[in-house]
Amino acid sequence: PWHRRAGSEAGAAAAPRYEVVVIGGGHAGAEAAAAAARGGARTLLLTHKIGTIGEMSCNPSFGGIGKGHLMREVDALDGLCGRVCDRSGVHYKVLNRCKGPAVWGLRAQIDRGLYKEHMQKEILNTPLLTVHEASVEDLLLTEPEPDHPGKCQVTGVVLGDGSTVHAGSVILTTGTFLRGMILIGLETYPAGRLGDQPAIGLAQTLEKLGFAVGRLKTGTPPRLAKDTIDFSGLQERAADNPPVPFSFLSEAVWIKPEDQLLCYLTRTTLKAQEIICDNLHLNNHVRETTRGPRYCPSLESKVLRFPNREHQVWLEPEGLESNVIYPQGVSMTLPAELQEQVIRSIPGLEKAKILQPGYGVQYDFLDPRQLTASLESRLVQRLFFAGQINGTTGYEEAAAQGVIAGINACLRVHGKPPFIVSRTEGYIGVLIDDLTTLGTSEPYRMFTSRVEFRMSLRPDNADARLTHRGFEEAGCVSQQRYEEAVKMRAALEDGIATLKSLQFSISKWSQLVPEVPISSSRRLPLSAFDVLRYPEANMELLARVVPEPLGKLAQWRQLAERLKIEAAYEWCVENQQQEIEEVRRDEALRLPEDLDYFAIDASLSLEVREKLDSNRPQTIGALSRIPGITPAAIVNLLRFVKTNHQKAEKLKALPQADKYFPEKMYSEKAALQRQISAKSSEEKQEYL
Amino acid sequence: GDTIFAVSSGHGRCGVAVIRTSGPGSRGALQSLTGRPALPPPRVLALRRIRDPATGEPLDRGLVVWFQGPQSFTGEDCAELHVHGGPAVVSGVLRALGALPGLRPAEPGEFTRRAFRRGKLDLTAAEGLGDLIRAETEAQRRQALRQMEGELGRLYQHWSDALTQALAHLEAYIDFSEDDNVEEEVLSQGEGWQGKGAGAGTPHPCSSQRDSWSLPAVDATVRALEREIGSHLQDGRRGELLRGGVRAVIAGPPNVGKSSLLNLLCQRPAAIVSPVAGTTRDVVEVALNVGGYPLVLSDTAGLRDATDPVEQEGVSRARDRLQEADLVLAVLDATAVPTEPVGLGAALGSLQPPPTTPCIMVLNKADLLKGKGGSLRAACTQGPPLPPVTLLSCKTGEGLDHLLALLARELARLCGDPLSGSPSLTQSRHSLHLRQCAVALARYGRERRSDLGLAAERLRLARRHLGSITGHVSTEDVLDIIFRDFCVGK
Repeated sequence: PWHRRAGSEAGAAAAPRYEVVVIGGGHAGAEAAAAAARGGARTLLLTHKIGTIGEMSCNPSFGGIGKGHLMREVDALDGLCGRVCDRSGVHYKVLNRCKGPAVWGLRAQIDRGLYKEHMQKEILNTPLLTVHEASVEDLLLTEPEPDHPGKCQVTGVVLGDGSTVHAGSVILTTGTFLRGMILIGLETYPAGRLGDQPAIGLAQTLEKLGFAVGRLKTGTPPRLAKDTIDFSGLQERAADNPPVPFSFLSEAVWIKPEDQLLCYLTRTTLKAQEIICDNLHLNNHVRETTRGPRYCPSLESKVLRFPNREHQVWLEPEGLESNVIYPQGVSMTLPAELQEQVIRSIPGLEKAKILQPGYGVQYDFLDPRQLTASLESRLVQRLFFAGQINGTTGYEEAAAQGVIAGINACLRVHGKPPFIVSRTEGYIGVLIDDLTTLGTSEPYRMFTSRVEFRMSLRPDNADARLTHRGFEEAGCVSQQRYEEAVKMRAALEDGIATLKSLQFSISKWSQLVPEVPISSSRRLPLSAFDVLRYPEANMELLARVVPEPLGKLAQWRQLAERLKIEAAYEWCVENQQQEIEEVRRDEALRLPEDLDYFAIDASLSLEVREKLDSNRPQTIGALSRIPGITPAAIVNLLRFVKTNHQKAEKLKALPQADKYFPEKMYSEKAALQRQISAKSSEEKQEYL
Repeated sequence: GDTIFAVSSGHGRCGVAVIRTSGPGSRGALQSLTGRPALPPPRVLALRRIRDPATGEPLDRGLVVWFQGPQSFTGEDCAELHVHGGPAVVSGVLRALGALPGLRPAEPGEFTRRAFRRGKLDLTAAEGLGDLIRAETEAQRRQALRQMEGELGRLYQHWSDALTQALAHLEAYIDFSEDDNVEEEVLSQGEGWQGKGAGAGTPHPCSSQRDSWSLPAVDATVRALEREIGSHLQDGRRGELLRGGVRAVIAGPPNVGKSSLLNLLCQRPAAIVSPVAGTTRDVVEVALNVGGYPLVLSDTAGLRDATDPVEQEGVSRARDRLQEADLVLAVLDATAVPTEPVGLGAALGSLQPPPTTPCIMVLNKADLLKGKGGSLRAACTQGPPLPPVTLLSCKTGEGLDHLLALLARELARLCGDPLSGSPSLTQSRHSLHLRQCAVALARYGRERRSDLGLAAERLRLARRHLGSITGHVSTEDVLDIIFRDFCVGK
């Protein structure tokens, strides 16, 4: 029964010790473990099954509007998912092509098998990263470090076989596995994903520690056999040619453009609505009150909220060799035989065979307002959370949090300041700030509309925003990537300077590039950069008429494209700059994390105090985004920032208390640690 | 950083009002408004004439103080202008400041915020200020809205709601459309928001569209809002008209005596007159005082299809002026016009004055009228749909008194009574935001085809300006509308 699986090293005598332990091998866990290891931490990834690392449990696609932005940022921090997708996609398509480069959505249909294969290869070949198969039932805890909020700190984990692993930081990325419950029709059974066990012991531990936990639901559609679908009458969607890679390091994707697979569009009919409405009594998932996502609703909720309409169904391939089709848009939880009726009422699917029925999942998530912007919990020091456990949905959202948690778990162990991405720097910053400041009541998904500085935070410039910081502050970026980013930055700066210095009169320009409708009342000469701003202009055109010095700029394709985008957005980015500065100033004003909002001596209403206590904003910036907080409250709290700042200045003279001293900690606090963990580990070992 | 300004004394009419600026532009602002490069010594009061730097027009004489940072309330460079507390003076100074580059109206509590940032407020002061700041912001918004008798507040809120909805639909189109059911019709077809009519009794624009699936067209809504805010800004310019003068344009066919009218009114030969049609080519402008109201009178080229390029340019300038006019003096030849009201109306219509601009019809050369005089006189008293009409002889001066009376009546109507219903201070902050909102809406139309992201940015900006008046709207509000109005998949 206490069988230890692949990769296990020493026996029970000396408990192994790692700087960072990551629990869960999903999209958040894989990125977290890899990021921590890249940063230089000896890292252990614990997962139920090594074979499920890189599993895409729901849709066979990556990216999309907003999500593609996140992937670019993950890639800029040297994360994995972008480059793995460049090696495993079967249909690459940039969404929103005609709406402007700031909102382009890089997206691809991915071959599930290839993705898993490449992801596992990455993970298993990452230096400093060890992977073990084990379930985690409990946490090892000890007394908190002074000068940090939190009632205890984590020092390791207890595995399903009762053995322990010591850790400097622990990252929890258990997705929907915390008290996961699968629902099909009236049947329910515990599972994190169809065929995988839920994590119950860990859920109880978190509850005992006092973490506020909520419940969310999501769902997945039935999977169909490709050879039973009649595609002949359906609308086709072809992939991009050439495909646009996700990673800044990829020159091109692996697949030949012409070898890419097609997607197909069909629509539900009123027959589906009829079946659903007649059988609501057989559908537990839909009747329950748990909050599901509004933007990725089940077919049942679409039919109920928007009746008498056709609903789109995209038929997406699951892989090059796969016979599985993923019908996006019809996630449902009806009993299996009724699902078949619904599917067969859809044009093209009249004879479709269901390979696996759709199902709903309900799961615990942790209120992310209990986390700091580095994703460390306030309650338990050195315990980080990332991914769906924080109330998000989507592979990309999970991966983004994973990278940040991994980086910070590593920095924490090494006694370095946390790596925070601001709302003004990236979608990752918006995602984490929204979660940790406002919490969420439904699975949180990234949208471009959530981002205040959308014009500045574009997919094309994620490297310029994050790669330098990732290299210099987090140490999670390879030398090669850093050098590429430095080179690109220099080339952009030079290119813009060259374009700006190249000036002609308007009439000269009109003569040179008659296709560009230059309209300017200015008498001054116009620079090539100004001309490039026009939708009709591009570097190729300019290089043709002014080959010297523009020729060589136009030859470097990526550079030429980025120069064009920089020109188009220059005014807007400049306009936003001042606002960005204001947000940054407010974000620089930090509120103490352990502030007792009920005790502080300031004129705040009880209502405001309660809001502050539950949201625990970390900065004045975050504070000002909480709905219902008055300017008066902001001013009052600024006072505390100020005193705190002064205190911190005085403390600077003292030595850093933030260092990781494992030996000392373990020897002095071992007794207490055992006491704390004994209590909560009584109910462990139900599984494995 | 930018430089902010605001009235720091109370609202309403008072003996002295204090207008404060803070930020690096304070020095330049004080230099511009006092017209002197030399500043008074720091923290010493000085008496100065305060002028609008754009027009050079004196606004007031008052005390000014220069605070060189960091020795100021906010720690930045600050200036204070102590002017007479009349609403027209105050809003004049605010407008002049707002027109300077790099200056903008302060957000509620912003001076204090800056003081905090610079570490200028100590702990006790901070605590004491808590309540004071709240009073400032809440009162600023509420009191302003109350001053506008709630009506204006409701209108702004109504705009803000409509704009939020338009933005939500645009955002939905950006964030979802390609895979989902949000179609392009959201942007271009559909009914759109119908503007003011919806405000009075009809349902709220945000509540009516939900079930019908006739999605309001973002484009139409933006255009309607732009129009409405534009005309609102015109309506609300009474204070500005009083300060800057009502712009009246003399327009009419060639050789009817427009320049003679100008000369008659300003009692000097300001414009060249000759019997040759097309004598006036450029715009001639004079400032007048009519019945105590300021009037800026422009004489323009006669409107006709000119062949001479210089005259063509003059006619085109005349038409531009006509579009911008606050008041039109339409001059026609009394001997050449029909004598019945319908014909008179048609003669006026041929000049194509802007339909909403008030107009006075002047039938010149009355001395040359012979038998026709009686029936024409009768037609003149017709009233609507004809504007006020008067017979005039520039040659004899006959009818001048009547014209002046008509002018004074129109001016009084345009400027309002300065002693009642005057523009409040907050309104001048509002009008700056509204103007910027209108500019952003206008630019939306331009960006819309080339880059939807940029177009959305304009709407966001417009909403932010409206939000500065009515209270902010969060991203969550936008998402709520998206999910309420659309069935969106992944």
